[in-house]
Amino acid sequence: MTDELGALTTIFTEFYYWMTVVLMFLIHVGFCMYEVGASRYKHHQHTLMKNTLLIPLVTITWFFFGWWIYWAFPTGPGLAPSIMTESTGLVLGGGFGANELANPTNQLMAVNLNDHIMGVFWAAFLLFSWTAASIVSGAVIERITTFAFGILAIAIGSVFWTIDASWGWHFDGWMLKILGYHDAYASGVIHAVCGGFALGILAVLGPRIGKFSSSGEPRNIGPRNPWLVCIGLFLIYTGFWGFYAACNIPIFNLGPEYGMEGVTFFTATNIYVTPTTLSGITMNFLLSLSGGLLSGYWISKGDPFWTYSGGLAGIIAASAGNDLYHPLQSLIIAGIGTAIAYKLHYWVERRFKIDDAVGAVAVHGYAGVVGLIICGFVLWGYPSSGYSVGSMWVGTDYAPINPLGMFLGAIIMFGVLGFLPGWVLAKILHGMGKLRIPREVELAGLDYNIMEAAKKDEKAVSSATR
Amino acid sequence: MATVTNWIDHLSAKEVAGAVYPYVGTEWIWLTIAIVFWLAWTFATASGETEEQEKLARKKHGANDHKSNITEW
Repeated sequence: MTDELGALTTIFTEFYYWMTVVLMFLIHVGFCMYEVGASRYKHHQHTLMKNTLLIPLVTITWFFFGWWIYWAFPTGPGLAPSIMTESTGLVLGGGFGANELANPTNQLMAVNLNDHIMGVFWAAFLLFSWTAASIVSGAVIERITTFAFGILAIAIGSVFWTIDASWGWHFDGWMLKILGYHDAYASGVIHAVCGGFALGILAVLGPRIGKFSSSGEPRNIGPRNPWLVCIGLFLIYTGFWGFYAACNIPIFNLGPEYGMEGVTFFTATNIYVTPTTLSGITMNFLLSLSGGLLSGYWISKGDPFWTYSGGLAGIIAASAGNDLYHPLQSLIIAGIGTAIAYKLHYWVERRFKIDDAVGAVAVHGYAGVVGLIICGFVLWGYPSSGYSVGSMWVGTDYAPINPLGMFLGAIIMFGVLGFLPGWVLAKILHGMGKLRIPREVELAGLDYNIMEAAKKDEKAVSSATR
Repeated sequence: MATVTNWIDHLSAKEVAGAVYPYVGTEWIWLTIAIVFWLAWTFATASGETEEQEKLARKKHGANDHKSNITEW
């Protein structure tokens, strides 16, 4: 960096992403509190450990191959040509190529005096990956093995969500060009895919012992500590602010970027490099949170667990289009998404005997899918990119946002990259006898040995005289 | 082996080398070690978990037995 203005812009951008990473860390703190609050006493420590271990597991695999996948697959491969290389193969060369940017042996993947952005951008995406794995973590508490969860966390956190991000959350992604897919704050690329993945696992894993009566009636289990759940969700909301900021590029001159001669227009953009403002999305975030809370309170008749979860579901439902919506549109979309997610949760629970311990499939999966579908109608006709405007199915230019493209996008997210891999991997782990803990351990409690040892220590200490 | 031994020389070079960490050029070695560590961790902890759970399962504790182990430090 040799000129002052360029240096200032670069350092501002570096610090901006760094701040989002710190804020997003609170999402994970919140998920840990939330899950422990929802689990029963005899499973607390293992529940906490399971969610904690996804941090190192997803981090190292994100370094090994997750980040590389994001930059390598925007063309499919084989589906739509890259606007950078015009190739439909893996994006492996050039300024934005995967091997250039994200190969774990590349000198940019370290302290590098010629680059200030790679590390913080990598970390922002990594925090999204933790969130992806953490969403799944809550649904499967009290009966999955830590080994199986580790494998599944890596699969969703460092493979499947990053494939969908490469396809539909990348300025060069084929889903924008062919379908007109638009998902600014990740209703689909994080939430729907993780909800679908969790549902796929749950279908194989089965319910907790005692969740359903012999006649198939569902019983309510917990949450054991509603206050911890509440604080956890507040922390997740807080981290979500960081998530929204991290989905933006804080300052970008779109004139030269779009090839407009003599035009200078500095703005914040979303991940697709189309303009928005941090100011506007802040209003939308708050209004969608409010819509979700109001709807959750209403539909659940004041149940605290679902009111708080409704706030989250509301933000998730409005997130796909929150870069462009009016705040009151965000409010209404959030309310609708939350109500549908709540109703679907109980319908699926009864109909298919799915025990989703924290409602993750509903809050993330169903609300995300509903948000994508609504976005297709509300933003119908908007360009999915600023680089060019074409028509659906062609692939050489960018299709406009439309309901069919968004519906197909929702199926890809929830079904193809979510449910299907979750179900297949869970089947494999189940076949190996590694998916579920033994029945006797589930009854005794995962923490039985730890608690027994602590009791012995307590007795020894209390009877000691010196 | 230090990559930088004099910051003034380093930063006044015609083209400043960006990578300043030790042993530049040995990234593949570190990557291989890290992958081996990750795989070893996975196998070691998986077998430990199975062993511990099988041991606990054999004791056949009831669903409420843990309550006698709640501590009141």
